[in-house]
Amino acid sequence: MVREIEPPLVQKEFLLAALAEGRRLDGRLPLEMRKVEYIFGEELGCVECRLGKTAVLAQVTATIAKPRDDRPYEGFLLINSEIGPMASSVYESGRASDDEVMITRLLEKSMRRTEAVDREALCIIAGEKVWHLRLTLHFLSDSGNLLDCAAMAGMAALRHFRKPEVEVIGDEVIIHSPDERAPVPLAIHHTPLCVTFAYFEDLQPILDPTHLEATLCEGTLSLTLNAQREICVLSKAGGTPLAADEIMGVVKVGVDRVREMVKHLEEELEKDRSTRVVEVR
Amino acid sequence: MFSVTTLPPSSTLSFADDIPSSHRKHPAELDAMDVDDGGFEDEYGGAGPSKRTVVTPGEVITSSKEYMRGHGTYVEEVNVVSSVTGTIERVNKLISVKPLRSRYNPEVGDLVIGRINEVGPQRWRVDANGRQDAVLMLSSVNLPGGVQRRKIESDALKMREFLAEGNLLVAEVQSLLGDGVMSLHTRSLKYGKLRNGFLLTVPPQLIRRLKSHFHHIPAPCGPTGVDIILGLNGFVWVSSGTSQERREGGEGFDAEGVYSDKNDDITPEGRQAVSLIANLIKLLAREGVPLTETLINEAYSWAAKNVPGDGPLSDRDGERMLLEVVGLDIHHRA
Amino acid sequence: MSSSRLEILNDGGLRHDARRPYELRSTSFLLSTHTASSSSSSSSSSGLTPPDGSSTVTQGLTSVQVTVFGPREPKQRSQAAHDRATVVVEVGVVPWAAGGGGGAKRTRGDKRLQEIGAAIRQTFEPVIMTHLYPRSEIAINVQVLAADGGILPTSINATTLALIDAGISMLDYVTSISIGLHLLQPLLDLSQPEELDLPMLVVASLPSSGKITLAQMETRLHVDRFEEMLSLGTDEKSGR
Repeated sequence: MVREIEPPLVQKEFLLAALAEGRRLDGRLPLEMRKVEYIFGEELGCVECRLGKTAVLAQVTATIAKPRDDRPYEGFLLINSEIGPMASSVYESGRASDDEVMITRLLEKSMRRTEAVDREALCIIAGEKVWHLRLTLHFLSDSGNLLDCAAMAGMAALRHFRKPEVEVIGDEVIIHSPDERAPVPLAIHHTPLCVTFAYFEDLQPILDPTHLEATLCEGTLSLTLNAQREICVLSKAGGTPLAADEIMGVVKVGVDRVREMVKHLEEELEKDRSTRVVEVR
Repeated sequence: MFSVTTLPPSSTLSFADDIPSSHRKHPAELDAMDVDDGGFEDEYGGAGPSKRTVVTPGEVITSSKEYMRGHGTYVEEVNVVSSVTGTIERVNKLISVKPLRSRYNPEVGDLVIGRINEVGPQRWRVDANGRQDAVLMLSSVNLPGGVQRRKIESDALKMREFLAEGNLLVAEVQSLLGDGVMSLHTRSLKYGKLRNGFLLTVPPQLIRRLKSHFHHIPAPCGPTGVDIILGLNGFVWVSSGTSQERREGGEGFDAEGVYSDKNDDITPEGRQAVSLIANLIKLLAREGVPLTETLINEAYSWAAKNVPGDGPLSDRDGERMLLEVVGLDIHHRA
Repeated sequence: MSSSRLEILNDGGLRHDARRPYELRSTSFLLSTHTASSSSSSSSSSGLTPPDGSSTVTQGLTSVQVTVFGPREPKQRSQAAHDRATVVVEVGVVPWAAGGGGGAKRTRGDKRLQEIGAAIRQTFEPVIMTHLYPRSEIAINVQVLAADGGILPTSINATTLALIDAGISMLDYVTSISIGLHLLQPLLDLSQPEELDLPMLVVASLPSSGKITLAQMETRLHVDRFEEMLSLGTDEKSGR
């Protein structure tokens, strides 16, 4: 793994001094997120999410595959999230760094293990044919907090995606092209989104750390929550030890933030939907 | 429900130094230790330092207002807290905790045995069982052709001929560099490359600082006796004996042979003697007995008396030796 | 989710292995399991030296062995930091260790282990007083010998002991436990079948301050339930 050059000491001192006064270098409040921007692609299921200067492009594709023998009613959801050198020069293609493993695993846990997508609804013919969804995340630029951005991009893409309408007549499966029949959205149980907090010694936690803040902080805590106030994933791996009520404090902040984020995502999706003319002939 | 077990050393070949056992200490060392260890019975008695002999990380020892923190401790708020598992040592107002087991902690003047890891510009890097590789500067070694000879460029080019990767040497810690790296020197005829013997590794805490770390067991033990070098870093060199002059760098000293890689011819009896001594040391170290010259001598004379014909040491003989020489009964330990 | 129909809590309030909800599995801690005898090694490379610290921790049917090397010269000198020691963690699972869940077939195994390794490293980096050992490396090798749930908490407990055995300075012990939730009843120290069926939280904390260094959860759970589990977890970590 390429070791990143540590930021200069003056920069560190400046950042910490500013934080002690409750200010951040980009003018945000400690618990304020950077501006979230969704850019919807031409195709359904292609969304680029920008969180400040961090950018992740998510693309959902669907193919038909044979289900696993022990789970004949379940489709597949594969999350592909390899961080390449495009995001930042510290990432090497091929070899996964610790950060990358953490991001991949957390995404996997928050989207797959929490059953965000109803995999049984992906079944076409039990034991024969199911939808195989592939969510590919392209990490375009790393300016801190890739995880949250990727989670937003991934969920936005899954909710944006439409799979072609399928008709089953006997043993025969007819896949209608989008021109014939309107494609159908995926059955999504809930929208888990991720928020990351960074901790500094003797300071209040900050939300959505930038790259510099993330390299200088003492530890981070990532939370995946949904609008139903459920914690899907919580991950605080090491870092500064915290008391239980401190953790509960950020969980409460996270609950509010995620509710706002989900609302924002839904508004954006709605806006995009209204611009699309769905023709049904 | 819970069982916290420390393996009994004899069955698993581990060291029992997790249990501080005063009976293992040589009497002389107990006297030498200036530790206030009165009244172990009243745990946490009074406001003074915790009276427990063994503390573990996170355990509060005493107030930092009255005492100073030494190694193995840290200060949290008003308390001196232990950061390792070990015994409390107090010198006046200085509280430190000595870990039961740890890597070798170098001090200036220590005699160590090391292995060349790397030949670098003007220096060798030596693995001496420390936290980092030690350095041996070209300017801190004696080169053939006179003790006070100036080092010239051609010497730097020939460094690998003197000491190559994998060579063993005995040296002294000359100084400690800023971040704790040992800087070694071999500027004495006692020090230098090792041959004619073999290396043992024992836990470094079993080797105390002694007057001399070079021991010689004279002639009935092998035709030329056996030399033992107890490196403070836990490396022990046992080799076939050399003559008095050679050992002290007198007349018969062969300056050119100092960097020789060739072993002398050693008779089978000599080899047997070396391995007997090595086995005795291994046995003592396995049971966590601190090594001293007298102890090794006693162990040898016991073996000479009780083991017929320099043969290999059987398990039973080993146990008897421990019982009769050290007074350690591995079958009935407390 | 799971295919097995396991009765988590029976009518008598006992778990499938006859434990009460807050009862831990039988636990044993062994220290210095790896001190090889004074190895006679005239030609051994430094790679053959015995570890500086080792431990084996068994919790129920889960067994983890940890060896600690160091502080030592870093294997890759470029990884060294000039002002502190670097911590390197390697996690391995023996092929026969897979628990009842058929884990051996797991092809993602590698990533899971890497994640456990990263979690252990990040848990111990702030607890080890790394500034005392500049330019050196502390290598922690975790080997899972038998897996029946709770690999991460068991590994953390074993690592704490191995570090202590190595005489490395630490601020405090780190103790860890897994907590599950069945309906409204929290359960402690989950076994593999329970782990598959229940939402699980792993907590590692420092016993003297009660602060939490690691918290990991990966199943949907309501915030209010989470709060209960978390406080229970910090109460129950008085490992020894």
